[in-house]
Amino acid sequence: MNRMSQQGLHIHDLRCRIAGNDILKGIDLTVDSGRVHALMGPNGSGKSTLAFSLTGHPQYEVTGSVEMDGEDLLALPPDKRARAGLFLSFQYPAAIPGVKVANFLHAARQAERPGDLPPAKFRALLLEKMEQLGIDPSFMGRYLNDGFSGGEKKRLEMLQLAVLAPKYAILDETDSGLDIDALKAVGGSIGALRASDEGRNTGFLIITHYPRILQYVTPDVVHVMIDGRIVKTGGHDLAHRIEREGYDKIREETAAVV
Amino acid sequence: MSSAISPTQPVPSEAEPHGLFEKLSSLDGTLLSPEERRRALERFFRLRSGREKPGHFWKVDFESIAPDADSIDLTETNITVENPNSGLLVCDLATAARMQPELFARAFGTTGVAATKFGALASAFCGLGVFIYARADYAADEPIVVRYDAPAGAAIFPWSVVLAERGARLTVVERLAGGAGAFICGAAELVTEEHADVTFASVQQIGDGARAIFTHAARPGRDAAISWALAELGGQLAAGDLTVSIDHPGSQTSITGLFFPRSTQHVDLVSTVDHRAGEATSETVIKSAATEKGQARFLGNIRIAPHAQGSDARLRDDALLLSTTAHVDSVPALEIGANDVKAYHGATVGAIDVEQVFYMETRGIERAAAERMIALGFFEPAIERFPSTNLRDEIRAALAAKLS
Repeated sequence: MNRMSQQGLHIHDLRCRIAGNDILKGIDLTVDSGRVHALMGPNGSGKSTLAFSLTGHPQYEVTGSVEMDGEDLLALPPDKRARAGLFLSFQYPAAIPGVKVANFLHAARQAERPGDLPPAKFRALLLEKMEQLGIDPSFMGRYLNDGFSGGEKKRLEMLQLAVLAPKYAILDETDSGLDIDALKAVGGSIGALRASDEGRNTGFLIITHYPRILQYVTPDVVHVMIDGRIVKTGGHDLAHRIEREGYDKIREETAAVV
Repeated sequence: MSSAISPTQPVPSEAEPHGLFEKLSSLDGTLLSPEERRRALERFFRLRSGREKPGHFWKVDFESIAPDADSIDLTETNITVENPNSGLLVCDLATAARMQPELFARAFGTTGVAATKFGALASAFCGLGVFIYARADYAADEPIVVRYDAPAGAAIFPWSVVLAERGARLTVVERLAGGAGAFICGAAELVTEEHADVTFASVQQIGDGARAIFTHAARPGRDAAISWALAELGGQLAAGDLTVSIDHPGSQTSITGLFFPRSTQHVDLVSTVDHRAGEATSETVIKSAATEKGQARFLGNIRIAPHAQGSDARLRDDALLLSTTAHVDSVPALEIGANDVKAYHGATVGAIDVEQVFYMETRGIERAAAERMIALGFFEPAIERFPSTNLRDEIRAALAAKLS
C-alpha cells in the first residue's frame, strides 16, 4: 500500500465487550481526512462505546483492527493515540479539581505538539480561540470542568479541539444539552478549525442521535448505527431522512440484513 | 538529680529520662522557674500521648519517644527571624519576658499547650523562640518569617508566641528545617484580641530520619480571625496537635493541613476546634496523600458546647492513596451540644479516579504525568489557603518532588 491509500481512520470488524455483553458487534467504518462523517443512531446503539474503544478506555475489551494513517491504533495506549492525532470530545468530561484549565491546555498542547509554540504565542492562540467560542477569559483560572455547567464543559471540549487541531476528531454528543447560541458557537468553531492550516485535513466523526448539530456542520457522509452495527451509510440527505422518519424505518429495512 | 522524680509518678520503663532532668539545670530561669520546668518534664513522662499504639500499619510508639539528653541543643543560633515590618515587636522569648513582662504574660503559656504530653516536653526545655506582638490596629504588610533549624542529630524545642491586639493584622510563616535524625518538639501560641486577624503558616521540611512533634493552640478574641495552615512535608515522623479554643462570639477560624508521607514516613495530626462561645465559624480543610509505605492519621475534633448557639463548624478531610501499601486513617469526631448550629463534616479516602486519568491521557498526557497532575491538583484547595504566592509555589514544588 502506498502512503495515500493508508490515509484515513480505518476501522475493521471492531468488537467490544463490557461486563460480558457484546456492545460493538463488528464495526466497519472509514473516516477520511478532511471530511465530516456523522454517526447517528438511537440511544444505546453503541456510539459512545465506539468512541471509547477507539480512544482506548482501560475498562473496554476491544478486538478487531483500527489503522490511523497506517498506524495500528489498538496497539497504542490512550496517550499515544492522542499524540498520533486522535481526539475525543467527551459527552461527559471528567472534572479534575485543582488542575487549572490554562495549565491543562498547555500540558496537552505540549504533549501533542511539543515545543511548537512559545508561551506568549500559545496564550494568544488560546485567547483567540476562546473569543471564537464565547468563553470568558476567567475560565483559564478555573479548575478543569469542576463546577462547570453542561454548556461550559462542551465549550471547553471545543476549545481543546481548536487548540490541539487533531488529525481525527470524534465528537461524542457534543450537541446534547446545548442551547442554540452554544450550538452556533460549536458549529462556528468547527468551521474555523476546518478553514485553518492546522485543521484543514482533520477528519471528523460527529456522534449524535439528533440531527440538530448537522444544521451547523454539514456532513459529507452519514452512518447509521443500530445495535452495535453500522446498518446504513449515505450522504447528508440520510440525516434529513432520520429527522423526518426517526430510526424505526431504517431499523425495519435493515433487520433482514443484520 | 534523677531522684527528683516522685515515686508516686512512675516513669514508664520504656521512656527512661536519660539524664533529661539534669539537663534542665542548664536552662535560664527567666521564662520558667527550675521547679516549673521539672514539673513539666514530669508531666511529659507521666502523661499518655492519647495517640494510637503501633499496629499492622502504624509503626511509631509515641509513649516511648523521648530525646537523648546529650542531643539537646540549647544554642540560640537555631533560629532566624525576618521581619520586614517596622512597628512590630519581634524578639526572643527571654528578652520579651524581661523587657515586656506584662505583654508577654498575656500570651505565653496561656493557651494550654503545656497540658499535652509533648507540649509539656516543649515547655520543660522552652528557651528557643520568638515573641511577636502587634499593637492595636497595627497592620503588617509583609509576613514575618521565623525559621527553626535543628542540626543533624540534635534536639531543639522551639516556641513561637503571637499576641495581636484589637484590630491588628499580621501573618507569620514558620519554617522548620532539621538535619538527619534531628528531633524537634515545639509549640506555637496565638492570642488575639477582638477584630484581630492573624495567619500562621507552618511549613515543615525536616530531613531524613528527623522527627517533629508540635503543639499549636490559639485563643481568638471576639470577631477575630485566625488562620492556621500546616504543611508537613519532610521527616520520618511528623505529629501535631492543633487546638483553637473559641471563648468569644463572632470569630472565624480557618485550619488547613496538608501532608504526604512516602517511603516509611509517618504523619499524625489532631485538630480540635472548641466552640465554647456561639456565633463563631470554623472551617477545617485537610488534604493528604500517601504513597509507598507512608502512613498518616488525622483526627478532626469539633466540639460545640451546649450554650454555643449559632456556631457554624465545617470539617472537610480528603485522603488520596497512591499505593496499596500506603495507609491513611481519617476520623472526624463531632460533639455537638447545642441545637441551633450548623455542623458539617465530610471525609474521603480513595485512589486516583481512572476516569480522570483516562481523560487526561486522551489529551496526550502520559499516565504517570496525568496522575502527578491529578495528585497535585488534589492538594490545591489546601495550598490555596496558604499565604503568599512564593510559599504556595514552594509547597507545590515540594509536593511535586515527592511525586516524582
